[in-house]
Amino acid sequence: MARYYELRELETKAPKLFGIPTGTKLDEMFYKVELEGDRYVKKPLGGIPYLSVLNVTGIPDTGKSVLAEQFAVTQANLGYRVLYVTVESPANFLYTALKNKAQALNADFSKVEENVVVIDASESEELRENPKALIDTMAHAIRERKVTNTIIDSITGLYEHKEVMARQIVRQFFNFLKKFKQTAILVSQKRSAQASESAEAAGGLAVAHIVDGTIVLDKKLIETRWDVNLYGLPIGSVLRTIRIDGCRLCGHDSRTWVFEITELGTINIICPLSEFIKRRGRVEE
Amino acid sequence: MGFEVITKPKGGDIDKMAEKVFWEAIKMLGGLKKLVEYRNLTWLPSLAEASYVVVLKNEAMKTYSEIANILGITEQTVKNIATADEEEVKKYIEGELEERPKEHIAGGIAKLAYKKLKEEGRLDTEEIELKREEMEVLDVDWAVHVLAKIRGLDFPVEKEQLMERLKGMVIKGKKIEDILEKLEYPIKSPAQLLHQIKTHLQS
Repeated sequence: MARYYELRELETKAPKLFGIPTGTKLDEMFYKVELEGDRYVKKPLGGIPYLSVLNVTGIPDTGKSVLAEQFAVTQANLGYRVLYVTVESPANFLYTALKNKAQALNADFSKVEENVVVIDASESEELRENPKALIDTMAHAIRERKVTNTIIDSITGLYEHKEVMARQIVRQFFNFLKKFKQTAILVSQKRSAQASESAEAAGGLAVAHIVDGTIVLDKKLIETRWDVNLYGLPIGSVLRTIRIDGCRLCGHDSRTWVFEITELGTINIICPLSEFIKRRGRVEE
Repeated sequence: MGFEVITKPKGGDIDKMAEKVFWEAIKMLGGLKKLVEYRNLTWLPSLAEASYVVVLKNEAMKTYSEIANILGITEQTVKNIATADEEEVKKYIEGELEERPKEHIAGGIAKLAYKKLKEEGRLDTEEIELKREEMEVLDVDWAVHVLAKIRGLDFPVEKEQLMERLKGMVIKGKKIEDILEKLEYPIKSPAQLLHQIKTHLQS
């Protein structure tokens, strides 16, 4: 039955605001503001907000899955259970990716193996095409294995041929993740017509509007003399950027940051783009 | 591979859910027997179809055209079922409307049944069948007999109605007539009745 709450009734239900580490500098980019004495102090959360459902979007090859995998390995290595719903890459490929990530991050892979549960929807049409079947399977895994973090890579794969349903499908998963108290990352793909630096993804703004926040990954090919001068990078190279495009649960850095995907396949966030340009731009002039 | 990989769905069985909606819809119409008596069996195919439409749309998030393809019916029929005004249909089957509404009747009934199952959390729960020996081991066979005898009874109930249905029963050596004397009335639901009997047996 529908009911209403007095605001004070919700006090005990309100989640605490703290960070769930991702193993990247993103952990310092979400913050809360606390009153200390007579002034407000910005304090990094040390991770993405607890119980948040975040959208990670970007054009192909911007590092969306890399970020999701790094989050999974970091959490599993800390001893927390992670549910990884793989919709794109078959589970055996994911295994290799996580193993490599664990090595690169100096994580204990036996812990990762123990704490990660995978639902392979990439090879099951029923799991991909029937959200109810996938949600029930996720509920089973979360309950049985006491999972606290969930990754869906990618949510787009669940409605890629019917974007008209994106809003309803994303809403169902969002509600489910909230009900099951998960801190979650939903990876979403962009369509070619969508601006690469925006929060928009397949299904329009459906994902971005429903979830708690969006992280946009982007890349720029250095292809003109102007680019070379501005970024201080050789022609033909790639400049990768990451930006938190809104988070309704806490404060966050809103600048565009430069990052690299290291040779070992991990994300290393370097500095804000403005500083990067100041530091490296015009070096070769 | 080291970590646990789940490759098969654990739930979300569309056929099972559609069957449940179908049976709930029949129940809402007064049961299969009433449909036979009133020569309304021709409703059943539409009801089956509508049950699938409602489940495919709301649980499997299928589009109208996908549902039309799966069921082999037109997209317009799917739309009519999915958008039927269930409240109008409810008024019609309860005899409140003189004229038949334009709504898809089976669609409206299936939607009502689906809503009821969903609200009561019965749509996707697994029903477990217990055999007589298992019930005896669990010492709950009396509960099944009580439920069988009160089937169809409208709750809340008073002592007299229960007495009429249950008279002659003996539960764990106690006469039901004596047990019923000690319960608190009105009893709001079958669950409350079983709970009160159980408490009495333990006292």
